[in-house]
Amino acid sequence: MGVMMTAIIAASGVSKTFHQPKRFAGLRGALKGLFNRDYTEIHAVTDISFTIAAGEAVGYLGPNGAGKSTMIKMMTGILVPSGGALSVLGRAPHSHRMINAAEIGVVFGQRSQLWWDLPVRDSFELNRHIYDIPAARYAENLAYLSDMLAMVGYLDRPVRQLSLGQRMRAEIAMALLHDPKILFLDEPTIGLDVVAKDAVRKFLSKLNRERGTTIILTTHDLQDIEEICPRLIMVDEGKLLFDGEVTRLRAALGSRRRLTLTFGTDPGTITLTTATLTADEGAAKHYLLEREDISLLDVLGELGRGHGLKDIKLEEPDIEEVIRTFYQTKPTLAGVSP
Amino acid sequence: MKLGAYPAFTATAFQARLAYRNQVWSSVFGELVATFAFIAVWTAAFADRGSVDGVSLPEMVTYVLIAGPLLQWNTTPFIREVGDAIRTGNVTAYLLKPLHYPGLLLFNQLGNNAFEQVTITLPVAIVVALSVGLLPPASFAHGALFLAYWAVSWSMLFLIATVVSLLAFWVLTAFALDWFLRGIMAVASGAIMPFWFMPAPLATILGNLPFAWVSYYPSAVYLGKLDIPAAFLHLALGLAWLAALGGFLAWLWSRASRRLVVQGG
Repeated sequence: MGVMMTAIIAASGVSKTFHQPKRFAGLRGALKGLFNRDYTEIHAVTDISFTIAAGEAVGYLGPNGAGKSTMIKMMTGILVPSGGALSVLGRAPHSHRMINAAEIGVVFGQRSQLWWDLPVRDSFELNRHIYDIPAARYAENLAYLSDMLAMVGYLDRPVRQLSLGQRMRAEIAMALLHDPKILFLDEPTIGLDVVAKDAVRKFLSKLNRERGTTIILTTHDLQDIEEICPRLIMVDEGKLLFDGEVTRLRAALGSRRRLTLTFGTDPGTITLTTATLTADEGAAKHYLLEREDISLLDVLGELGRGHGLKDIKLEEPDIEEVIRTFYQTKPTLAGVSP
Repeated sequence: MKLGAYPAFTATAFQARLAYRNQVWSSVFGELVATFAFIAVWTAAFADRGSVDGVSLPEMVTYVLIAGPLLQWNTTPFIREVGDAIRTGNVTAYLLKPLHYPGLLLFNQLGNNAFEQVTITLPVAIVVALSVGLLPPASFAHGALFLAYWAVSWSMLFLIATVVSLLAFWVLTAFALDWFLRGIMAVASGAIMPFWFMPAPLATILGNLPFAWVSYYPSAVYLGKLDIPAAFLHLALGLAWLAALGGFLAWLWSRASRRLVVQGG
């Protein structure tokens, strides 16, 4: 977290409910739907509260349909909350949509904001007019961004000829040309290959550190969070599950380290009290170390000599596993739940 | 408000249309075929008579060109584009900018329309003028008034099409809206059949609806079918309709922007 602890986003009990006309299956149902005006209420976001300080990088994580995009759209001012209070840069984003829009940058991984038929540079130029960016600042930002995002080679190519990775880098650059205070990204790495994902993550992380741009990022790719965001907000079914530092989540859920022992030949089943056998492939055996106070030496001590042990591998749980555990157990752990 | 941004949209829309050259050639060809089909129908209808209801065949040919390619009563491409943006949720890309969406549509459409005038209407007008012949305005005053009517026609068409396409925020598909408006426009704009050939009661009703300012009144003024005082009176009525529709659009937009449902995540 930054030194300045001014909250630039504050959500307090925010909810969003959609009304959907009831649909009925089949042709008969479709005809019935023409006359039936019943609505189903869908609670996309329920009673969510958090504050975000200037300069933070926050990952907003949740499975599909968890209400991540809805929350982003409320913060950007294009959806109106059904309940609660939301403030972005000191204003209610929807009632001040245009003023808010001038101070934020938004990237939607699944939607393009570039002009499909025009060279990338032309879309950038249009944004220069839209945000009234001074010429010198525009030139400076364009140079910085095209260098950082390696876009120099394709600035003059029409967007329709770009690869997804190139297009996404251009989308991100476009959202930053006007020096927004907050950058919202809705699944910015979706569909990208490993190299492209890596480039995007490195850039965002650097942007946050060097320029102090506040980043709010939704994703279901956990590596995005691991590399960019020290803070994590987890939601499911519209509700807040966890809000805090990634390290705190990991600690609270216990370090379920994984141990793999590889033997020269299959020594037969080996059960230990210090570690739980999770998979037995014969010569390779996988264990889980569930207790914090047990060290590798304790396990090896219990194992003893004479099994022809060739290799040992001890892995810390990755964030993906921590979060999977979290979603599976949905714990109300003291110190973890918000 | 960044006012300088809006003209930039006009230029960008014009430029984006240049990306597809084949589309230009096929549009010119299509418009030529349609125009000559109408001319053929009227030629057959006049069947060697010098004039019908006080209108001559050369006047009808000129009417066809003005009401059709020049004033472009066809709102389908516009409604489809806006409707698609709403249906797919891509409209968010515009709402995320510090811009007024209907204002942006206006300037965008200005660019599109300028492109069509230059690349489609102008070639078609030249071909028709050289082959069948076109009449000049009835008088200098009628010509000057026609320019004002042209601006009213364009604004009226834009307002009608925008109001109808924004209804897509409620019904989520512009397809039916497009058909609905297309049916009305074909008759009520006077683009296909001038009001003077219609039964008097129908002509009176249609002559008081805003659609009439899209095709009928501008063409009729050009041909001198309205005398100068009547032309001024109807210009004022057209402006009143513009103000009413503009107010309605502003109200509709304030409602629409509150009930946005972003589809597709």
